[in-house]
Amino acid sequence: MPPKTRERYTRQIKLPQIGLSGQEKLAGKRVLIAGIGGLGSLSSMYLAAAGVGHLIIADHDQVELSNLNRQILHSEANLGDPKVTSASQRLGQLNSTIQITPVQVRIDHGSIDGLLEGVDLIVDGCDNYPTRRIINRAALRHNLPWIFGGVRGFDGMISSFVPGSSVCFECIIQNPDPLEPEAIKPGTSPPNNGILGATAGMIASIQAMEALKLLLTIGSPLTNRLIRISGLTMRITTTTLTPNLECKGCAPSSKDKDI
Amino acid sequence: MMNIQFNGLKETIPQGLNINKLIIFFGEGDPHVIVEQNGRYIYPKDYDTCMVMENDRIEFINPNLGG
Repeated sequence: MPPKTRERYTRQIKLPQIGLSGQEKLAGKRVLIAGIGGLGSLSSMYLAAAGVGHLIIADHDQVELSNLNRQILHSEANLGDPKVTSASQRLGQLNSTIQITPVQVRIDHGSIDGLLEGVDLIVDGCDNYPTRRIINRAALRHNLPWIFGGVRGFDGMISSFVPGSSVCFECIIQNPDPLEPEAIKPGTSPPNNGILGATAGMIASIQAMEALKLLLTIGSPLTNRLIRISGLTMRITTTTLTPNLECKGCAPSSKDKDI
Repeated sequence: MMNIQFNGLKETIPQGLNINKLIIFFGEGDPHVIVEQNGRYIYPKDYDTCMVMENDRIEFINPNLGG
C-alpha cells in the first residue's frame, strides 16, 4: 500500500478489526448506491471516505432546491444537474483514489441486473416501495446482500438482508406504504413527505456502518433484526425478525420469484 | 382489564384480545402497520391466533419508506 494511501486510512487501519488487510479488501469491493438522495448522499460519502474501491451510483433525478435540506452531496451550484453528476463530482473531491461510476437511470426491472454486474453489496437509497421490491428480488437472484434504510419525518428504520441467511425485505413489508401506493412506478417519486435532513443522516450512517461490516465480514450484521429510531423521542427499538414461510420474495414456495 | 406496554407507554386494555382486536382497540388506521410483540415481529396471518397477555410489550410500527 502506497504511503499516501496508508496515511489517508491510518485511523481505520489502526482498528484491529480492519488493519491493512481489511483496507486492501475494501479497495477491491464494488458497491451499488441505489439512489443518491437523502440516504444515498450520506452513505456514499462514508463509503467513499472509507476507501471502498468502486462505487456505482444510480439515480434518474435532477437536483432541486427542496432537496438541499438533506441531500448533502449536492449544492446550489448543482441545481438542475443530474444527481449522479453532482454526486460523482463531490465524491471524487472527497476521495480521488477510488473509482466512481455515475449512472443516470431509473432503477427498474430493465436496468437493475446491468447495475449489479460485479457488485458485492447494494446500499438502499430509494424513496419508495416498488423500487425496493425490485432491488430485493434482484438481490435474491444475484445472491447479494443489501442494506435497507427508510425514513419519514423524524423517524427511520433499517435492516440488513443477506440472501440465504436472513429474512428478506418482502418477508416483513409485504404492502406498500399507504402514502406510496402500488400505482407508483419504480423510480418515480412518491408524494413529498416532510423530513428533517438529520433523520436521513442518522439512518444513512448506520447503513454505511452495516455495509462496511458486511464487506469486511466483521462484527454482527443487522440481519434478522429491524431497528427503528424516533428522532423526536430518541426512542430506539429493535425487532427480532423470523422467516416468513409465505413470503412472495424468498420463500421456497414463492410463485412469482421473477417478478 | 390488564396492563401492557404499548409503544413504550403503560396502557390498560381488556383481557382476551388478539392482535387484530388490539389494532381495533387502539384505532390504528394504517392497514400496513407492522406489529411487534415482546420484541418479535408478528405476521398478519397470525393476528387472529396471537393473544395479548398481561405485561406484554407491543409496538405498532408504521413503515418509513422515504429516502
